[in-house]
Amino acid sequence: MRVLRNLLRTVSGSVGLIMLIITIASTVLTPFLSPYDPFALDFANAMQPPSAAHWFGTDNFGRDIFTRVMAGAVYDMRLALICVFGPMAIGVLIGLVAGYLGGRIDAALMRLTDIVWAFPFYVLVLAIVGVLGPSETNLYIAFFLVNWIGYARIIRGETLLISRLEFIEATRVLRFGKLRVTLRHILPNAITPALVYSMSDVVLTVQAVAAMSFFGLGVQPPAPEWGLLIVESIDYMRDAPWMTVFPGLAIVWIGIAFALLGEGLSTALKPKG
Amino acid sequence: MIPGLNLKALLLASAVALTGLPAAAETLRVAMGFDPLSLDPIATSDNGSIWTQLLIFDTLVRPDKTGEGLEPGLAESWTVSEDGLTLTFNLREAKFSDGTPVTAEDVQFSIERAASEESGWARFYRPITSFEIVNDRQIVMTLAEPFTPAFNNLALFAAAILPKAQVEEKGDAFFDAPVGAGPFMLKNWARGSRIELEKNPNYWQEGKPYVDDAVLEIVTEPSARVIKLEAGEVDVALDPPLNQLEDLDGKDGISTGQIIPYRADFVQLNTTREPFDDERVRKALNMAIDKDALVQGVLYGAGEPAAAAMPVMAYADPELAPYPYDPAAAKELLAEAGYADGFEAQLLVDSGAATSRNAAITLQAMLQQVGVRVEVQMLEGGTQWETTKSGNYDMSVSYATSDTIDPDQIIGFVGVNPERANAYHTEWKSERLNELYEEERKTPDGDERGGMFREMVQILHDEAPYIFLYHPASAWAAQDYVKDFEILPTSNFRLEEVKIEK
Repeated sequence: MRVLRNLLRTVSGSVGLIMLIITIASTVLTPFLSPYDPFALDFANAMQPPSAAHWFGTDNFGRDIFTRVMAGAVYDMRLALICVFGPMAIGVLIGLVAGYLGGRIDAALMRLTDIVWAFPFYVLVLAIVGVLGPSETNLYIAFFLVNWIGYARIIRGETLLISRLEFIEATRVLRFGKLRVTLRHILPNAITPALVYSMSDVVLTVQAVAAMSFFGLGVQPPAPEWGLLIVESIDYMRDAPWMTVFPGLAIVWIGIAFALLGEGLSTALKPKG
Repeated sequence: MIPGLNLKALLLASAVALTGLPAAAETLRVAMGFDPLSLDPIATSDNGSIWTQLLIFDTLVRPDKTGEGLEPGLAESWTVSEDGLTLTFNLREAKFSDGTPVTAEDVQFSIERAASEESGWARFYRPITSFEIVNDRQIVMTLAEPFTPAFNNLALFAAAILPKAQVEEKGDAFFDAPVGAGPFMLKNWARGSRIELEKNPNYWQEGKPYVDDAVLEIVTEPSARVIKLEAGEVDVALDPPLNQLEDLDGKDGISTGQIIPYRADFVQLNTTREPFDDERVRKALNMAIDKDALVQGVLYGAGEPAAAAMPVMAYADPELAPYPYDPAAAKELLAEAGYADGFEAQLLVDSGAATSRNAAITLQAMLQQVGVRVEVQMLEGGTQWETTKSGNYDMSVSYATSDTIDPDQIIGFVGVNPERANAYHTEWKSERLNELYEEERKTPDGDERGGMFREMVQILHDEAPYIFLYHPASAWAAQDYVKDFEILPTSNFRLEEVKIEK
């Protein structure tokens, strides 16, 4: 609660949060309020420009783009959040183990991160999905395999730093169990930078997920995932630019929301003094 | 042809020459969506390769512009014996682009090569069992038993005439810098980017090609081809997005054309799997598709609904109508087959083919209406082919084009099992159709053979191993100053007759 209050005290944090709430609210409400089915074809109304009836216009199949963009938010948010916080959990665990145990285990785990780190992010994700075949599940697998690295490194560094602080020394004197110390005393302090990083990671992952669909390696049609909406609109961009513009704006909007939230969080979580 | 018109053109041309304009080399620039894989005629089956080969190489005979008959190519004249077993060709006095003459020996070498083990088209030429070279410009080919498509198969790109000595000397390297007797010769090939062609000075059609150079720009994105055309970076854009045709035609300085080539689009059904092994289900699926809506919504009107997986070509039955759109009857048939609640199936589609992708999405929505829940799976084109070939699929959006004017090639591909592709990987088999196929190949051209084709297509229609979709148009857009460019019914294009009149 204190974090939330601190967050709302920052301009960027509160704007980001409001943007996110607007997104979630409209995503949840659109299926009930929109008279259109995001999947039903209506060739008679194909490629209508934005109007009162169709706020974002219609696509080449006559589907309402506003309804589709809102329905697509479910896919993009789900993918981005799972692809960030899933690997984050793995990364945090590995970072903690490496940092606290040290020695050979640390060396082994860090060499592993070095290996994965050595490959460019997109190349690795593309390769994994390319081998496994395009689907949402395989997208998760690819991101889980790749995305944990950053968190493992951050947490390990923080853990090493915190382990040398006096209050951890004190726990040793008090003969607290290693596990208890790690989870109750190190983790809460080490996680802050990882949380802040995760917000910007969400921004990057939304883009990455959309990019994968754009390449035909992500979510499959007719799902209204934003990257798919954009790739499907390419041939119509000149006659019906709204087909491309609105899904693009949706990606920008969610990106800004999480970026602002991340900035707010970093202020809100900063230790006083 | 009006003689006066020619004279006028000639006068006009000399007038231009007299004004003293420097005779700048005229280059025709064509934006094409496919990158050729290889220029070896026996090793390819992709359109980019075939189209390019047909500009560089020539064949003995070739399909004429109407796609209804064959016209002389390197063979000036020919006779086919009464029993169809002896084909005699008289070669014209033609030269390869390097100046060496085209001889009967080159012909024998090229056809034998097309029938060899390494050829992907060997079945087409193996029935020709012996060659007799009468002299440099006359060759007699003999068949052991009747094979009606033999003559027509010589008009196929795979039967391109190659210079024997050079191919033997250079081996595979020959095809990196090929020498042919076609209208153009290869100047430079930057893979994935462009193919630069230069007029063949020794081409047998005197005065042609009219342009000095031709460049095929490889631009895979359809919209990008149009943008290049509008920016004046190319003179012709092949396959512009169909939805932009009308707009393009209205633009100053640009005109468009279209033709329905020998092509049929369909959905392959894996008949080894339930429920596609049931003919009632396959018919129901055909009746669940509103083909007119597909043509309007996906092709923007540029096409015709299809009644079978065969292009509408020689011997086609004009009476054969597409399955009617009748979702209620489709549901009944499904219920009869035990699928009253429908079923689930996966639909493969080539992620790079915009029209097929749109068709898949439309099919999904239409099949939903009869309770069939389709999951679309986009794959890269090559992977899609491999997947259907291995039999690991339910449904797959695909198409077939004919490179020849005789329907034998395509029926063998989409209808006959085993033959070439096990009825295009549907694994559907009709003994009667197989029988007719054997018969047709021994029957001389005429009504009797036509009747066999009509019966085969009828069987294909009735037993429906595919969902038949449409025959889409092939379109092009060109600058107004480009004259006489067109796409032929065999889907390729000729450039030797194209003029630039700026």
